[in-house]
Amino acid sequence: MTGPLLDWLDSRTGYRALVRRALDEELPGGTGWPFTTGSVVTLLVGCQFITGVGLTMYYVPAPSLAYDSVRFIMRDLPLGWILRGLHYWGASFLVVATVVHLLRVFLLGSYKAPREVTWLSGLAMLLVILGFSLSGYLLPWDQKAYWATTVTINIARSTPLLGSYVADVLRGGPELGALTLGRWYSAHVFLLPATLVTLIVAHIALMRKHGISGPIEPAAAPGEAFFPWHVMRDTVMMAAVFASLFTVAALVPAHLDAIANPSDANYIPRPEWYFLSLFQLLKYFPGPLEPVATMVVPGVVIGFLILLPFVDRADGRHPFRAPRRVFTTMVVAIGLGVLALTGLGVADSPPDDGDDWGLLPIAGWQIATDEASPCTRCHAPGAPAAPLAQTRITRDEEWLLSHMADPVALAPGVRSEQEPAPRPMMSRFKAQAVVSYLRREHAGRAHPVIDEAGKTAALTYAETCVACHKLGGEGGTMGPDLTHVGTRRKAAGIKAVIEDAPEMYGETAMPRFKDRLTPAQIDALANYLAARK
Amino acid sequence: MKPNCKCASEPRRGFLIRVIQTVHAGIGATLAFVVGGAVIAPSFSRREKLWLPAGTMPQLAEGVPTAVTLRIARSDGASETVDRRVVYLVKTGGALQALDSTCTHLGCRTRFNPDSKLIECPCHGGVYDTNGNVVSGPPPSPLARVPVRVEHDRILVEV
Repeated sequence: MTGPLLDWLDSRTGYRALVRRALDEELPGGTGWPFTTGSVVTLLVGCQFITGVGLTMYYVPAPSLAYDSVRFIMRDLPLGWILRGLHYWGASFLVVATVVHLLRVFLLGSYKAPREVTWLSGLAMLLVILGFSLSGYLLPWDQKAYWATTVTINIARSTPLLGSYVADVLRGGPELGALTLGRWYSAHVFLLPATLVTLIVAHIALMRKHGISGPIEPAAAPGEAFFPWHVMRDTVMMAAVFASLFTVAALVPAHLDAIANPSDANYIPRPEWYFLSLFQLLKYFPGPLEPVATMVVPGVVIGFLILLPFVDRADGRHPFRAPRRVFTTMVVAIGLGVLALTGLGVADSPPDDGDDWGLLPIAGWQIATDEASPCTRCHAPGAPAAPLAQTRITRDEEWLLSHMADPVALAPGVRSEQEPAPRPMMSRFKAQAVVSYLRREHAGRAHPVIDEAGKTAALTYAETCVACHKLGGEGGTMGPDLTHVGTRRKAAGIKAVIEDAPEMYGETAMPRFKDRLTPAQIDALANYLAARK
Repeated sequence: MKPNCKCASEPRRGFLIRVIQTVHAGIGATLAFVVGGAVIAPSFSRREKLWLPAGTMPQLAEGVPTAVTLRIARSDGASETVDRRVVYLVKTGGALQALDSTCTHLGCRTRFNPDSKLIECPCHGGVYDTNGNVVSGPPPSPLARVPVRVEHDRILVEV
């Protein structure tokens, strides 16, 4: 039935001749599986484009909403988690696939004359893809995004002569903020895709102009048609890669840190793994030597790759025989260097304790969601404010703390000193606990399972101990950090200190809590802390 | 002549083409399902109904529609939006009814004209009486009734 319609379409457009021209290409005999790497890259680029379009419908490129829009995609949007998962993991797959393609082209000597420009367009695409990765992970505006971008821009500052101008242009202003996010977003969704499409078209046109380079030793076998014989190999590889990508995206949720917090000194920034080698390299070139790591080493590697087809001019494509042996050694050295640095970077990474619910957030959780909680009076469905689990954190910590003390004030914290403030609705310690809880709730951390003793310990800690003792990165600094106190003391010892520190230590700032806390509170605290290894 | 030296194996060629088409269609369908699903899904989500306070009985004059603006805070994608819905509360005898002020023709906001004692739409001349029934003009149906109940003189409407 569609036959006559297609005939008509063909008579008006000539599309069949076009399709035939695209598919009917004779490949050199022996062209096999190694020549499917380019198709895999094309598939992954296509996936990134399609999933990217889906994401832009919900993503908002403004610091006040970027994080929440990503959180909305991950938590509330049906299929949003897998949509972002495919895009997030697709980026890593794409970097790997591009490097594999580059290595294949290198090993088989496919870049040699007359294919120098094809090689150069491929290198340009690799840089564009790295640009995608770099700009892409700023967009969620989480801690990783904020700090990794801060570091990136400061690296750009080390460019000789123009450094500070380059940094200002990348930032779009004196500080990292809305202007930065806007331009990186624009680059990520318009500039880089347009560049990449242009380069892909050029790359494929050049590949068709010179034909596939084929096996190193031309096979005696006669050539075969691209379609369907080689397309079948491409298709099998694409299906395998797509199935792997889908599996990873379905099993491992895409990463989202807590919202960017410029005042957080506890966060240790880490780049994505594909920039980890550069990040690690920086550690070995401190101070005035820094440009060696930021400019010289990457510059030498890229320069070497650019010059390769112009230097490697002698006949012979075998990677392990003269004259190419020397280049292969260099590429292997670069590859081992990148792998070693990445490995060292991974080994140096601090353990991810982002999921850890310390006593402070647990206490905040109790305080905020308790039946008697002052929060739920307004933060409820149909009430003046959205429920806490949905609330966006658009204000800084000082504002939140003031709001909890004086919830009806429109601009908490601006009351003049002469004016008597109302009695706080919630003590500052409790409010701090609630803020700590909200940050975890907001970052989508799963709620921990807490028994009654745990609740008692949490509330006691949040009302008493937090003033002087840190636990899991939060709390005062007067007394020792209790995060790993379980490695130093047993429950009985901790209990003795809580009950009567002056008795144990003599001169100490820690008061005696024997009469201020109930035995149940002291036991709960001692047991909880003893388990902190 | 096509540069194809496996022409003899035509059935195999046809089989390969079908496999290629199937695999690519499968990848395309998976992506279409994920992206299309995520794009379309929110279109069909509905807000939960809420009973909101809309004043008290003694405030209402007999037989005169009183326009009440209700503020409904709802999550809207990643942000929050406050929708403003205007309903008419009409007390006739002991009975109370609430009418949605949205014209049933093309969705303009109607207003009560105290001179004519009719509810009028400014867009295309739709006119309703105080019970919401169409008097003249293009509206296809009466103003929508909004569920309403009274608890100790407090009026609650469901929106």
